Amino acid sequence: MSRGLKLRHPVAGTLAVAGYVIMIVPILFVVATAFTAGSTLRFPPEGLSLKWFGEALAYSPFMEAVVSSLELAVLATALALVLGVPVTLAIHRGRLPGKGLLEGLFLSPLVVPELVVGLALYQQLMIGLHLDNFTTLLLGHTALLLPYAVRVTGASLALADPALEEAARGLGASPLRAFVTVTLPMLRPGLISAGLLGFVTSFNNVPLSLLLQTRDFRTLPVTMLDYVQQSYDPMVAAASTLVLAATVVVAVVAERTVGFAKIFGGINR
Amino acid sequence: MTTPAAELVGVSQRFGSFTAVDSIDLRIPRGRLTTLLGPSGCGKTTTLRMLAGYATPTSGRILIDGQDATRTPPEKRDLGMVFQSYALFPHLTVADNVAYGLTMRKVPAPERRRRAAEALELVGLGHLGDRKPKQLSGGQQQRVALARAVAIRPRLLLLDEPLSNLDARLRVQMRAEIRRIQSETGLTVVLVTHDQDEALEMSDEMVLMRAGKVVQTGAPRDVFPAPADRFVAEFLGYENFLTLADGREAAVRPEHLCVVPADTPLDGQADGAVVLDAVVRDVAYRGVDVLVTCEATDPAGTTVRLVADHRADHTAAGAGPAPAAGDRVRLLAPTARLAPLTAEPATEGIS
Amino acid sequence: MRARSTLLLLLPGLAFLLVGFLLPAVAMLFAPPGVTFAQVIERMGAMLTDPYDLGIIWRTVRIGLIVTALCVVLGFPIASLLARSQSRWAGVLLALAIFPLLLSNVVRTFGWLVVLGSNGVIGQLLTGLGIVEKAPQLLYTELAIVLGLVQLFLPLAVITCYSAVAQVDPGLDEAARGLGASRTRSFWTILVPLSLPGIVVAATLVFAGSVTAYTTPYLLGGSSQRMLSTQLFSYASVTVDWAAASATAIVMTVLVFLVSGISALVGRKGATS
Repeated sequence: MSRGLKLRHPVAGTLAVAGYVIMIVPILFVVATAFTAGSTLRFPPEGLSLKWFGEALAYSPFMEAVVSSLELAVLATALALVLGVPVTLAIHRGRLPGKGLLEGLFLSPLVVPELVVGLALYQQLMIGLHLDNFTTLLLGHTALLLPYAVRVTGASLALADPALEEAARGLGASPLRAFVTVTLPMLRPGLISAGLLGFVTSFNNVPLSLLLQTRDFRTLPVTMLDYVQQSYDPMVAAASTLVLAATVVVAVVAERTVGFAKIFGGINR
Repeated sequence: MTTPAAELVGVSQRFGSFTAVDSIDLRIPRGRLTTLLGPSGCGKTTTLRMLAGYATPTSGRILIDGQDATRTPPEKRDLGMVFQSYALFPHLTVADNVAYGLTMRKVPAPERRRRAAEALELVGLGHLGDRKPKQLSGGQQQRVALARAVAIRPRLLLLDEPLSNLDARLRVQMRAEIRRIQSETGLTVVLVTHDQDEALEMSDEMVLMRAGKVVQTGAPRDVFPAPADRFVAEFLGYENFLTLADGREAAVRPEHLCVVPADTPLDGQADGAVVLDAVVRDVAYRGVDVLVTCEATDPAGTTVRLVADHRADHTAAGAGPAPAAGDRVRLLAPTARLAPLTAEPATEGIS
Repeated sequence: MRARSTLLLLLPGLAFLLVGFLLPAVAMLFAPPGVTFAQVIERMGAMLTDPYDLGIIWRTVRIGLIVTALCVVLGFPIASLLARSQSRWAGVLLALAIFPLLLSNVVRTFGWLVVLGSNGVIGQLLTGLGIVEKAPQLLYTELAIVLGLVQLFLPLAVITCYSAVAQVDPGLDEAARGLGASRTRSFWTILVPLSLPGIVVAATLVFAGSVTAYTTPYLLGGSSQRMLSTQLFSYASVTVDWAAASATAIVMTVLVFLVSGISALVGRKGATS
């Protein structure tokens, strides 16, 4: 058995290293550029400074967008969980015909391209029904996160033995008591996973949100995207570095609570 | 003397501070079936894996057919291995599984098919070549694994606990089956097991291991009546230990202890037997026999706990109906059935 | 659970799904504002014959295929090395491969502007070493899009392949080696065929992601290297041509459904044979 990460196979080893370079190295250059004292995205950076971080934090469109994105992501995640967990229960514990079909229906937002969904919401809800863009975004993001809520908590529920709930009932617990004291604690890892995953997905989303922006309510990724397209200065590198730092915090929280790798085990089966 | 099929010279395997195999020397005789027997964690499987090339010894040398193979990778050793889990390739048919080793040896297709069919025929599964492993029962999978290992005509056939995943009846059947295949093919076989009955029934030569060391080797008929020490004796099912008048320790099996009421005249029965006074502490009814647990005083004067396997039809030996707890009895242990222990490792802590 | 309470549990979620996804999606196809379904179909017909539009479709498919192939070729070795390693570094490397999935696509893609831009790392390196006089145009090329998409989707390929490899009993590799197979032979005859269902899933996810991604072709492809997604945005937001937007959306959706369907068929066939 091979001990350590000895790359015994030179071809596989080379491909693996190339893969890591493509995945990681560009991100490192973003960080390096953020600390430049110069005013262009030049590499190597011209001198060291924190001035672009200051600029990014003082740039009101970014700061407003951070608040908007947080607001949207928290609400959409909470809604998706509140709506999704009952659906999971109905699918796994209810006696319904066509469970597979039902689960497929709730997973369907994953299949249709998000940009297409964004277009549909823009046309039908914003233009057609004159809904404001926050409501539209919230509806769209919640629908987009429902599959995560249903699938990830479903994976947790599948591991929980229904006999446990029956045992609780036998010991005198009402159905609600049995659910709250026995089933819900077992769903905890799934809820945390789905919550983290949902939050990150909503916060970072571009394709679905792209067409649903207005001057009053803009999300951060789309604001950054527009800024990059217009001006080519290192402020976005600084903003990106801040987003990266926040993401690292989220990753550490994920690792501490349910384990990093497990969270993503549930997305695709 | 011919060169042994394989030889381990001062072989050790250490994982960090843990010594799994501690400087063992072993000769595997050609054309015989050798078992490595011992409790779990004694190093028998590690020894087999080193022989097969899946683990490299920390020190020592491994010779196969007299040639150094210590660092030869498994694919170059020409050994056939049957894994405890069988490790059948689930995506290949039974026939392709059996032919896999021949494909790797670039044996031409027609010969490959013929030899694979032969090997399947040998284990009695000639008709199942087109199935996938999943469609077979555990016993059949076991036979396929055996056929796959035999098909390459290996220099050594290595079996790692091959019968442990089978139910009791099938296990007994397969013991005979493996013996038959061994004698038909004349292969040198090394089998790892923790089951002493299996080892006794199947082996030409058995190697008893404990804590990474070899404690006793020999043919079953030589080892069984004369266990080298208390550990081997316990492992072979000797449950009773007592100190003889001359200070030696001896082991005796429950079925060789005869229980007679304390007031029965001994007549000539005491000739050639050690007689112990005892009190019955517990009686367990088991259908064909009754297990009688006694507290007895051995010839050295120490109090020992002895278990006698009391059969209802033992009356010929003078024993009446089964005694009850609290009865005073005598235990008769025929001298010929006492196995004196040569070494005494009891004080040696289990490492 | 009784049928009525089950229904009660389902209803709120179902309502959101309908309003936030299903109804608008269907309505968009059949009744974009001020346009009839016939006009959408007509526009789609025009797209499928127009060389410019066909060029965009073909570029999208081509980039999708290249990115998929690269992600499998790079991702499977990473996954199999990590899944089979006993080193404690394997856990760190796995986390490093998964982490980008949490990170904003905009941030990840932005990195390539720094690397490939005219004053970027590669340009500076090449001119600095005197290999070329003028930094080559790397940004706004198909290469840039491919690199950006591989970066984006490789983590997905790695974790999907990883769970596939982890399900293959390592004892099978030992068995193959014992029967005379070299490491390479064992890899190709045992590990790859047994991980194939996972590889197919990974390829499908990467392809579907690549042909619908917006950020990457927008930032790295610019207007010269349009893909279906950037084209769709421009129809919907710049020229406000609803028929064309819907037609593009249909083409994109059909493309994704087609590939998902084929891979599901392949997966099912692999499972039964």
